[in-house]
Amino acid sequence: MAARLAQLPPTGRTRNPEFSPRPLPPRKPLRFKPMRRIYLDHNAGSPLRPEVVRALEELAAGNCGNPSSIHMSGQRARRELERAREAVACAVGAKPSQIVFTSGGTEANNLAILGAVRGRGCRRVVSSAVEHSSVLAPLAQLKREGLEAVLLACDSEGRISASDLRLALGSATALVTIGLANSEVGTLQDIAALGASVRQHDALFHIDAAQALGRVALDVGTLGCDLMTLSGHKVGAPAGIGALYVRDRSIVEPIMLGGPQEQGLRAGTQNLSGAVGFGVAIRTATKLLAEEAGRMGFLAERLWERLREEIPGLRRNGSQLARIPNTLNLTFPAVEGETMLIALDLAGVEVSMGSACAAGAVEPSHVLLAMGRSRHEARSSLRLSLGWSSTAEEIGEAAARIVGVWRRVAQAEPAGVREAAQ
Amino acid sequence: MNRRRVLVAMSGGVDSSVAAALLKEDGYDVVGVAMRLAPDAEQKSRPVSGGSCCSADDFEDARRVAERLEFPFYVVDLRADFEARVIRNFVSEYLKGRTPNPCVLCNREIKFDRLWERARALEADCVATGHYARIASEARGRFHLLRARDGAKDQSYFLFSLTQTELARTLFPLGEMTKAEVRAKARELGLANAEKRDSQEICFVPEGNYAAAVERMCDAAHIRPGKIVAPDGTVCGSHPGIHHFTVGQRRGLGVAAREPLYVREIRSESAEVVVAGRALLGAGGLVLESLSMVDPSPFRLGTLNAEVKIRYRHAPVGATISTLSGGRAKVVFRNHGPAVTPGQACVIYCGEEVLGGGFIQRAL
Repeated sequence: MAARLAQLPPTGRTRNPEFSPRPLPPRKPLRFKPMRRIYLDHNAGSPLRPEVVRALEELAAGNCGNPSSIHMSGQRARRELERAREAVACAVGAKPSQIVFTSGGTEANNLAILGAVRGRGCRRVVSSAVEHSSVLAPLAQLKREGLEAVLLACDSEGRISASDLRLALGSATALVTIGLANSEVGTLQDIAALGASVRQHDALFHIDAAQALGRVALDVGTLGCDLMTLSGHKVGAPAGIGALYVRDRSIVEPIMLGGPQEQGLRAGTQNLSGAVGFGVAIRTATKLLAEEAGRMGFLAERLWERLREEIPGLRRNGSQLARIPNTLNLTFPAVEGETMLIALDLAGVEVSMGSACAAGAVEPSHVLLAMGRSRHEARSSLRLSLGWSSTAEEIGEAAARIVGVWRRVAQAEPAGVREAAQ
Repeated sequence: MNRRRVLVAMSGGVDSSVAAALLKEDGYDVVGVAMRLAPDAEQKSRPVSGGSCCSADDFEDARRVAERLEFPFYVVDLRADFEARVIRNFVSEYLKGRTPNPCVLCNREIKFDRLWERARALEADCVATGHYARIASEARGRFHLLRARDGAKDQSYFLFSLTQTELARTLFPLGEMTKAEVRAKARELGLANAEKRDSQEICFVPEGNYAAAVERMCDAAHIRPGKIVAPDGTVCGSHPGIHHFTVGQRRGLGVAAREPLYVREIRSESAEVVVAGRALLGAGGLVLESLSMVDPSPFRLGTLNAEVKIRYRHAPVGATISTLSGGRAKVVFRNHGPAVTPGQACVIYCGEEVLGGGFIQRAL
């Protein structure tokens, strides 16, 4: 013992030859094999469609002013804006005057909820536990302001029942707000049944269709809604543009005050390039809807089949029948979703999990918790969402990489085992 | 082609940022991670709407460094593990009248265990941190944990519980550098946090108020108020709970006396805090528990002459260490030693090398 200790270097500067610092690999420039990245997070935002890129380039080349200006440049801008509005209106069966451009789905939801409820005598709003945070947060705000916000529970597939809704409705209900397609699990609500219940009362009906646009056909007449939220970047437009369909201008009060833009419902100079991109994207998405939805559905099923064969105990969340075709929400056995997400990213597959907090860490999905999953299950679930740019080759490659990553992660960091030990 | 991948634990501070930079320069495939550890309730001081993130700003600093140096960066949520393995121990130790060292536990349980599992899942070969300490390897495949070259910043005290397996997969790129060199390197790389102040506090205890943190994190029924007594048993006053005290503490006793009084002992069973003058403070030695040796092979049961450090900021003192049963060891100071604080780490050094250590059970 003493002999061994005597060999130790007396200070940090002298080196005993036996004590070399840990060998480091040689410094040499290393070349990466370029890894093809596979994007499976279209529910968070799709890449710009090439048609949109072209339109934006043309717009940038021309000299467009402020759409509210009187001069020629302003008039040109106004014309582009209105063309975009027509495209959005046409895609959902509305009149152009019923479309209010916003900064995105979140603002449209805020405008629909806060704008429709404030100023009405009724004190109650009905929604569900599986809504997006841009619905839940305004409802929480209304609650703090003294209104009554009722959140309906859902079943294990994320569906809300019309009978629950009927029980929650009363004469004092100002607004019912329901998401058509759930962004995390893809479940579609039975809007016809829910809408029928709403119409028996004097309540307004708002549909958050941000996640449904481009995945299923939308028609405000068929859906029977008074308000509907649309979002641009889920269909290949730039982020920062959305719209609210407003059946009748008088049912909403603006929440953003300033100028007379958007029929007085949304003050502020319009995001012209965003609106133009949205118009082109929604026109393309609507034209290609049948083809794209069919392809996304086919590829999503193929991905699911491949993963299910290779990963025993893999579970699919959401409704099997009523759902948008592009979304797979999967609970992976024996892993932390967070690790899977990071490992997949390092392997070039981009997916998502729940929602990110302000620092960028992921929180377990409130939707899965509402569907009755445990926190542990929610923490080991990932969302894979396909889009217009997904190809069969990509999906085959993604399946292989996901299986490989799952095997490695499950072996290195066995989540279920540790959970039980704690 | 097969570059070694290293997972670097990043806090957003200058040390871990430079550690990542050095590894990147050395050709490693660096993946940066920031760990979310502190529970939500401890983050009230900095409200962030739509989610409470302890140090969103610090994480942003780390993210900026990763962007600048072009390596991937992620925030990982280890709150549940931190709560179960570090905070619970911290609270229960204080309630027993002991003074825990959560950083030692966090290193052992989180950074070099939990994070390693994560690293392995991410195909990393090793974990690196910005600790000031050195790892030396022998040809025979044994690893030694050594003090940092910068004696003023040396953090080897917090790392005594690392084992051979852990050292084999750990890198401390800053071990040979001084703090000034680290800052200079950060400036040279143009890192925004080059001049960032060192953090001194325990990360989950805002403003260094341990007692308040303990009270927030425990059941009020577990708070133990009691009497302040002199060594002869005379009652000098009362106190709101033993978790307010640490052995050697002078301030905040609320007892007036001719000479300055210090906490000499905390009696957990009777909730008594014994105070005494400076002369009665020191101890002749201590018993440590959970003994862990960096390289256990040369140490069977036996006696060892070495130095021990019983608080991070103390100078090491000469001592004779003899192992007892049940992972305990008896440490006898060569000269009459300083005040011994149960719960703190007692780390055994031989010159530059950390031989191991344990947690102080009681003074002798």
